[in-house]
Amino acid sequence: MISDDRKELDPQSIWVVVAAFNEAAVIGPIVAEIVGRNYRVVVVDDGSRDATAQIASAAGAAVVSHPVNLGQGAALQTGIKFALLDDSSYVVTFDADGQHRPSDIPLLINALVDAKAAYALGSRFLGSSRGMPFGRRLLLQAAIWFTRVMTGLRLTDTHNGLRAMTREGASRLSLRQNRMAHASELLEQIAASGLPYVEVPVTIDYTRYSLAKGQGVADSLTILFDLSAQKLHR
Amino acid sequence: MIAQIGFSILLSGVMVYAWTEYRRAPVIAVLSMLVATAGLYFVWLPTHATKLAALVGIGRGVDLIIYVWVVISLILLLNLHLKLRSQAELITILMREIALANARTAEQNK
Repeated sequence: MISDDRKELDPQSIWVVVAAFNEAAVIGPIVAEIVGRNYRVVVVDDGSRDATAQIASAAGAAVVSHPVNLGQGAALQTGIKFALLDDSSYVVTFDADGQHRPSDIPLLINALVDAKAAYALGSRFLGSSRGMPFGRRLLLQAAIWFTRVMTGLRLTDTHNGLRAMTREGASRLSLRQNRMAHASELLEQIAASGLPYVEVPVTIDYTRYSLAKGQGVADSLTILFDLSAQKLHR
Repeated sequence: MIAQIGFSILLSGVMVYAWTEYRRAPVIAVLSMLVATAGLYFVWLPTHATKLAALVGIGRGVDLIIYVWVVISLILLLNLHLKLRSQAELITILMREIALANARTAEQNK
């Protein structure tokens, strides 16, 4: 049964935040598809050296440009802050490399409404993933275990960039990890907020392009170091 | 005696530095203080250092003191790294404000 809250949802009150660094090759169709669904899109161009900002702008996105490359975590925080400065009711984070499906956005928003949750976290392990390499699967399972130990959150997927949050949920986030450790930091902050969250099955389409942009074992060590270092200073 | 005084001054300097850093990085400060205190103890009681060194398989007490100094250097290096991280966070905040001030909405792009 569709709740009344869901019926009253205005797509224009939903900001989709896309952090992008040198994504000129793929950003146009992604933005166009999201805009076509009537959502508002902000692309945070994280110091790209290519035409990412211009292409995103032409496709109908608001564009916020970092003067230099700061990292995906910094870009997401900028995008979330931009959305909160506006009158958004919901904020969605969406990867720029084409591995997410815009058709999953309403599933996340509906889950927020139906479960009265502050965060809806996409899970490829509840949903599906196409073309995931075995090494990536192992790495993600290790990350899931690490997150359970560090945050107590019993999630099935922890480094999925497709998430939705209410305005209150978004305002509770304050990412300090500029680079890849932001995904773990975000979950730590969700756990610390005490606000309700829900996992939602989503589909991830791995492509050669998205895999080239993804993380490896060396990156996971950097994430561990960054998370540890942050706990040593204020 | 001269070496003991020299080491004591250096280690005391480390303790003062650790105290000034306490508010920003309490873990690092406490670690530095503990190691510096251990260093001072061994500098003034070298026989204890020799006994402990033999116990842990280092050999001579003076080597143990040098190792303590190496540990202090590494902790201070880590502290420098953390300071750089703090600077990077400030730069990020500044960059974010600049980016938001210059944001272009979809309507402005038309």
